[in-house]
Amino acid sequence: MMTRLLASLRGRLRRRRIEREIAEELQDHLEREIAAHQMRGVSPDEARRLALRDLGGLVQTRDATRDVYATWLDGLWRDLRYAVRVLRRAPRFTVTALTLLVVGIGSTTAIISVAYAVLLRPLPYPDPERLVFLAEKDGGGIAWPDFQDWRARATSFDGLASSLADSVLLTNGPVPKRFESRSVTANFFRVIGSTAYRGRLFDEADSRPESGATVVVSHGFWLRELGGDAAAIGQTMSINRRPFTIIGIMPPGFRYMTPADVYLLLEPQVAANYRGMQSRLTHTTLFAVGRMKPGVSVIAARTEMQAIAEALALESTGKVGPYVRVQLVSLSDRIVGTMAPTLTVLSGAVTLLLLITCVNLAAMLLNRATARSHEFRIRAAIGGSRWVLIRQLLVEHGVLVGAGGLLGAAAGAAILTGLIAAAPRDMPRLDEIHLDLAVLMWTTLACAACAGVFGFVPIVKTAGTIMQGAVVRSGRGPTRSATSLRWGLMIAEMAVATVLLAGAGLMVHTMLRLTRVDPGFDPHNLQASSFSLTGASWPDARKQVFYDAVVERLRAVPGVESAAVTYSLPILGSNWWQVFMIEGTTAEHWIAVGEFPNAGMVPVSAGYFEALRIPLLKGRSFDRTDTPDSAPVAMINSRLARRYWPDGDSIGKQIRQGLPADPFGPWRTIVGVVGDIKQEGLDQNTPQQVFLPAVQVPRTTMFAVARTERSVASSSLDQAIHDLDPAIPVFNDRTMDRIMSEAASRRRIAMIVLTVFGSVAVILAAVGLYGVISQGVADRRQEIGVRVALGATYAQVVGLFLRHGLIVVGFGIGCGSAAALAMSRSLKSLVFGITATDPATLAATAALLALVALVACYMPARSAARVDPLEALRSD
Amino acid sequence: MAKGTAGSDRSDILQGTLDLIVLKTLDALGPQHGYGIARRIEQVSEDVLRLNEGTVYTALMRLTQRGWITSSWGTSENNRRARFYAITRRGRQRLVHEAISWERMAGVMTRVLKLAGTGQS
Repeated sequence: MMTRLLASLRGRLRRRRIEREIAEELQDHLEREIAAHQMRGVSPDEARRLALRDLGGLVQTRDATRDVYATWLDGLWRDLRYAVRVLRRAPRFTVTALTLLVVGIGSTTAIISVAYAVLLRPLPYPDPERLVFLAEKDGGGIAWPDFQDWRARATSFDGLASSLADSVLLTNGPVPKRFESRSVTANFFRVIGSTAYRGRLFDEADSRPESGATVVVSHGFWLRELGGDAAAIGQTMSINRRPFTIIGIMPPGFRYMTPADVYLLLEPQVAANYRGMQSRLTHTTLFAVGRMKPGVSVIAARTEMQAIAEALALESTGKVGPYVRVQLVSLSDRIVGTMAPTLTVLSGAVTLLLLITCVNLAAMLLNRATARSHEFRIRAAIGGSRWVLIRQLLVEHGVLVGAGGLLGAAAGAAILTGLIAAAPRDMPRLDEIHLDLAVLMWTTLACAACAGVFGFVPIVKTAGTIMQGAVVRSGRGPTRSATSLRWGLMIAEMAVATVLLAGAGLMVHTMLRLTRVDPGFDPHNLQASSFSLTGASWPDARKQVFYDAVVERLRAVPGVESAAVTYSLPILGSNWWQVFMIEGTTAEHWIAVGEFPNAGMVPVSAGYFEALRIPLLKGRSFDRTDTPDSAPVAMINSRLARRYWPDGDSIGKQIRQGLPADPFGPWRTIVGVVGDIKQEGLDQNTPQQVFLPAVQVPRTTMFAVARTERSVASSSLDQAIHDLDPAIPVFNDRTMDRIMSEAASRRRIAMIVLTVFGSVAVILAAVGLYGVISQGVADRRQEIGVRVALGATYAQVVGLFLRHGLIVVGFGIGCGSAAALAMSRSLKSLVFGITATDPATLAATAALLALVALVACYMPARSAARVDPLEALRSD
Repeated sequence: MAKGTAGSDRSDILQGTLDLIVLKTLDALGPQHGYGIARRIEQVSEDVLRLNEGTVYTALMRLTQRGWITSSWGTSENNRRARFYAITRRGRQRLVHEAISWERMAGVMTRVLKLAGTGQS
């Protein structure tokens, strides 16, 4: 068969030449025959007749020969060209159908590719379902001594490792460069299951003190900073002014949680009490990852770790605190957790959009099929083969869907590029997203199936009835089943539009509520940058002086109204959470209560509250009188004051960080109470906060924040800090407006997508409704003419058509509302300030949709009443 | 087969037979043009087989498609440009195969036709 196919393909390419050759050959044959006959004495004309007779006819022979080298491929080619011609002759239908397909296939492919890459595709580590993520209760960081205890006691794991996201300064040259880093335990890479691209990764031997300082670099870092040189392994790099030997390079594209350029060992840092990690009370951003033994389930592991944590708590009553509980989830849940609800909602929405696309396509094809059934009946009656008709239709729909699929793929790729560019920066697995061909094929197949079913089922039926000798009517009316099918499709469209619009309405309402939340400070015209004072050259004394210098320098920049330095910026959360004691209370009291007092600790410079316009409710703010040597003081927020001094005055009371058995710092006097701010985000409750003077509690990395009168370039603020000391890394400059906008990005994306899809759905549903009713009016013109002639009023005629429309709208919105309520759970984590079944919003969107739909019904119904009865009765 | 009829309903068996005849002719005679093949078939069959000569050309096209014969342009004996056909190695294999089948079929048919009837012959 292959030889024949190939020969046929070659044949088509050289068709003209072959035909010419055949003709030549046959002509030659004829001439010889004629010559032979003539030699026997026959006349030329008679000779020619005999020759032609013997050959069997010139044309017939040529055709017979041509049929031999034509295969089914030629038939298909012919059908294709015919299909294209037919589609071009109906430009409005073709363009509309193609637009529907492109929109449906393109957007579905793009969004589901994202959802698949982020949510469904397994993580790029070996056996990823055995990896779990551990944190303290509420997802906070783990204390190193706790981690060691867990590791010693746990039996559910092949290995338990931990890591700390950090940043380092590369001090090879005169100007230090800042890079993202991750400090990991020696067994980390073994637990994750990574292998080195070049060289080797950390192993247990590296954690011993006698082995030298080693570092593993990322592939990107190796290319950019080390020139991709194979000899980089074994070289030394200066990190934070200390030498490290490069022992290995990570594979390209490797990422754990956040991207990191260099990987350091955690154990030596702990030995040096980096960030105070040796204390059980210090909770930095250390998190653990474990590889469960085969056969161990997440629940079993969680139960075991819970028991270990409680056992540890019982062993020493002083250890009771809010951090005793363990949080254990699968690693993929942790990585994609925040995105899961948004992506699920978006995937659902886009699938609904695809559904509406298919429904609309189906309705269009149905309309077209019934319009052409007349043509097909005639063709069947004069002997057209049913198979040829069906094949032709299949090819026609195939061309339509194929073209739609190709264009849709291009559109999908474009939309995906746009989505990736617009995605929030911290979106997990962003770099793993690409167009999924499987998704494309599925969506195209869905459209093709719909085209197949709705496009030619009615035609096959009509062609079939003709074969059985039914009478050929000239009527253009559609069959009963076609009409009810159409109405059914309309109801489905209305339902889908209702669901999408309801989702959009809920998100719009949510965003409105969010904008009305009082953040507790003035977020406008605020700019912030981070700076780090790392290394031995920055002892606490120097840091303390530096903060004041920064504030002075920033204030001197033209356009800056006020400036301050802080450890935690509002909206971004608290990065230092600690337990504290209240003077006059006992440890036993708090153990009985169940929880020690705890709060987010925020070192700030004097003038912080003024710069952020946080109201001072009582007492005084930090000022010049607070120095490293003056009395230790603190400020608290209103929420903390209400919680622990509900009746009395907190001013003058004393608190101390840490537990009675393990205090941190001196007793501090509370000197002021400030208003609550949304430290963790607009949609979160205000946490309890303790503010400390930065000069008394200096930290390495701080935010410098400035309120500007008009838009001041962020570079001039960064420059001000650089001017003080060029060796200090200054990074992450952004405005507070941008921070708040990014914090709302998940919800905003959901709102935009749902609104766009909802609008498209409403438009499609309205247009569809309009079309169906217009069609009905056109089909029943005669009947209208009769009714009007017999005295029907305007209202009665309009009502005739409006009735159907109302039923569809009613059913559609009803089903849609029920579906929206059933699906409300998927929006639960996205809505704010309202429930996912907020009746007011749902009612409003349903009403809006009903209004649009009724207008779409009323317009063609009205034109029905204007039908001239004489005209209607006369025609046809 | 009456001369001149473009019979398409007695297709497959007759096609196969004709293909066999053409193959054998080319095998025996060597390269030949279409006219010569038609004449030769008439000759050999002693006019029992009166061909619709057009079917010879269809058969030649079919055999070329299947790769059992090849064709090339050359000069005929009366100095005209003519297309010459020649059997290929695969064609020869096919010929042998078909000849064996044909003989087997002929033997079977003979035996069947010799079978005694149910008493009403």
